[in-house]
Amino acid sequence: MTGAEDSADGATAVAPVLEIRRVAKRFDATQALDDVSLSLHAGEIHALLGENGAGKSTLIKIITGVHQPDRGQIMLAARSVTIRSAADAQRLGIAAIYQEPLLFPDLNVAENIFISHQDRGAVVSWAQMFHEAESILAELGVALDVRSPARGLTLAAQQSVEIAKAISLNVRILIMDEPTASLSAHEVQELFKLVRDLKRQGVAILFVSHRMEEVFEIADKVTVFRDGRLISTRARLEATPQGAIADMVGREIDLTKTRATAARTDLVLSVSALGRQGVFEGVTFDLHRGEVLGFAGLIGAGRTDVGLALFGIEPATSGTILLNDKPVAIRSPRDGMKLGIAYVSEDRRQLGLVLPMSIFANVTLPVLRRYLNRFGLVRTSLERGTADAFRARLAIRAPSVDLEVAKLSGGNQQKVMLSKWLNTDPSILILDEPTRGVDVGSKAEVHAIIAQLATEGIGIIVISSDLPEVLALSDRVLVMREGRQMAILDRAEANQETVMTAAMGQRPANSLDGSAP
Amino acid sequence: MSALERLKGWEAMMLALLCAIVALNGVWSPYFLSVGNFVNLFQLSIEKSIVALTMALVIIGGEIDLSVASVMGLAACVMAWTFHEGAPMPLAVLLALAAGALAGLNNAFWIAKVGLPSLAVTLAGLIGYRGVARILLEDRAIGGFPDWFNTLGQQALIGPLTAAILIFFLLFVFFAIVLHGSAFGRLVYVVGSNVQAARYSGVRVGLVKSALFVGSAFVAALAGILYAARLGSVRGDMAEGFELDVITAVLLGGVSIFGGKGNLVGVGLSLLVILNLRNGMGLANITGNTQNDVIGGLLILSVLIPNMWQDLHNKWKGRET
Repeated sequence: MTGAEDSADGATAVAPVLEIRRVAKRFDATQALDDVSLSLHAGEIHALLGENGAGKSTLIKIITGVHQPDRGQIMLAARSVTIRSAADAQRLGIAAIYQEPLLFPDLNVAENIFISHQDRGAVVSWAQMFHEAESILAELGVALDVRSPARGLTLAAQQSVEIAKAISLNVRILIMDEPTASLSAHEVQELFKLVRDLKRQGVAILFVSHRMEEVFEIADKVTVFRDGRLISTRARLEATPQGAIADMVGREIDLTKTRATAARTDLVLSVSALGRQGVFEGVTFDLHRGEVLGFAGLIGAGRTDVGLALFGIEPATSGTILLNDKPVAIRSPRDGMKLGIAYVSEDRRQLGLVLPMSIFANVTLPVLRRYLNRFGLVRTSLERGTADAFRARLAIRAPSVDLEVAKLSGGNQQKVMLSKWLNTDPSILILDEPTRGVDVGSKAEVHAIIAQLATEGIGIIVISSDLPEVLALSDRVLVMREGRQMAILDRAEANQETVMTAAMGQRPANSLDGSAP
Repeated sequence: MSALERLKGWEAMMLALLCAIVALNGVWSPYFLSVGNFVNLFQLSIEKSIVALTMALVIIGGEIDLSVASVMGLAACVMAWTFHEGAPMPLAVLLALAAGALAGLNNAFWIAKVGLPSLAVTLAGLIGYRGVARILLEDRAIGGFPDWFNTLGQQALIGPLTAAILIFFLLFVFFAIVLHGSAFGRLVYVVGSNVQAARYSGVRVGLVKSALFVGSAFVAALAGILYAARLGSVRGDMAEGFELDVITAVLLGGVSIFGGKGNLVGVGLSLLVILNLRNGMGLANITGNTQNDVIGGLLILSVLIPNMWQDLHNKWKGRET
């Protein structure tokens, strides 16, 4: 499609396509990479594991030309190369796909796919471009209108466009940095089909993920990083998830541990036939004190929309909400907050936090009014006190609460967001993808915090695309599909199979009753 | 922490620049270092300095107000016209302030309620309010205001300081407290940094923006009245083009055009830098056009230097291993 078919069979079976030799990189006081060597062969899927800050991202940025190594060599097909920019990397047949797709929202799908093709000349043949884009997407088995703008596509669809973009460039090395973080189980399988296809075509794939089961499903080799060093590289068949986690954190963590079930006694929230025109409808459930209700379903099933309606950001247009047996109207986030509802967004960076501001300013933001003296001035010492208390309580790793939130890791940002909403003393806490893009260690901590909050009597809704997470945390699981509630499963009947069956549109026979018990 | 350090670095740079300019000017012209010259200097663009205070808040809030100079003109013309039509002067002043507030409410309605971009709305304001001002006064120049009014702009009240200068200092302190100490000021930074996160945190974004635009227009109206008092007469084209000088001063003061960053100390220093630079160049017989080129160049440098510094800093850090 670009005429760049020059070196499709350049890689031999012997020499690795990409070899990293003793690479080191330092930022200020942090040794981000320390003497790392790694090789990648054609037709191989090589997974990188490690907590946030372990050095995976730095390695990726060196391979894609964003950073230059302080020491060491990069060999491509046994030739030493210097990669100075993303354009260099692209010329060398290296492409990267990230967790957050980097599309131009106002360009259409086809334009986004071909955005990096600088050899197309000044005149764009729209008909040809649409045709080529359609054939690439068809090959991928993705149904998308190539003429519609990227704005408004689901994250999964945006991810497909990113992959189509890489394919259009005839890449030989594809780096996938947490490509599944925002995808639901079904979409992950679709993506994996694609990845295996690329593998068969001889593309070498470097695959970064925090989801252990995915790594062990798809990878040929598993490499673990910790604190900038390469700890281990094993063939998948010789590795185990527990062993990999132990390598990552230097200690054993059990993520599948389920919480003790709460007794369903005091009803806090009762929702019936809730709907928002054209988005979702007929959502009916009860939430009790100390209960964790999981919301499962595919991306785009309307789970987040229910959360937004309950908090008042996108108010419901039909149905009733009873809070402590009293009907309430929630028309704005302020209404939601006044009623003791807190919504922790799935999008930390855009919707959840004010990144350039301090930890304490973020924590006190929703209830800033509480921190004023009688002249209406903000008492920052009081704010710092609150933030410090949360820093201790949730083990937020930061030297000071004056630190910019942007400087924290994903897991710690998540904890700041939790602090911010816990500080409003909610009786109902809605957590949307509480561990997206969070490393394994922090994930276990966040789970422990959620369990603790439930014992303290908060009614919690956990919206998550991470099915094992939903199953580990929830007392009951509400499953949605295409804006409709499919089932509410009790813990006893909820497992990967029953939840997925409901999410895929097959109604389990005995679980239609929305309002248990 | 480091944001604070960066800001301090910026102010230190402005302060160094200010000292250099003052010293250079002092060497060139002995007259420059007299108190009279300083006050005179300040007085000559005191209205722009006043408007720069609220402009800083608006830009930190992630918006822009291009209509301020036209609101200055509008307020002065409303005042002159009603006075000319026989209204007593105090009433004319009140009506002028009301006209300013009204213009601000109009801006706020389209920006905060309807959701249009402030660049477009206040550009329309720039044209529209000026149009009203010119309709009111046509080609006339109206003067002959009462003496008490003219002394407001011309006569020293305390020491060598005129009422306008005193008002500037009061407003500077007031807005510094509002921006850096009050809940409203915090919300201005929040809205300017990430308006979506503000909304998701229950911040009434519309209210914050409305307050910014009404405040901006009201202070602009006040500045327009003070300008009229200093000149002693009003014309339809009064204060035309002032908005660009005001915005330049704010940006040079370290306020980010993208919102969320900056402070009033930086803006204060930048006002002094520009004044002294212009005055020094004036004393050295450099023409107004060349002066504009120098200020423009300074604005580019002010954006360039911190970026270059950061790059050098990174490279140097990268090398030491």
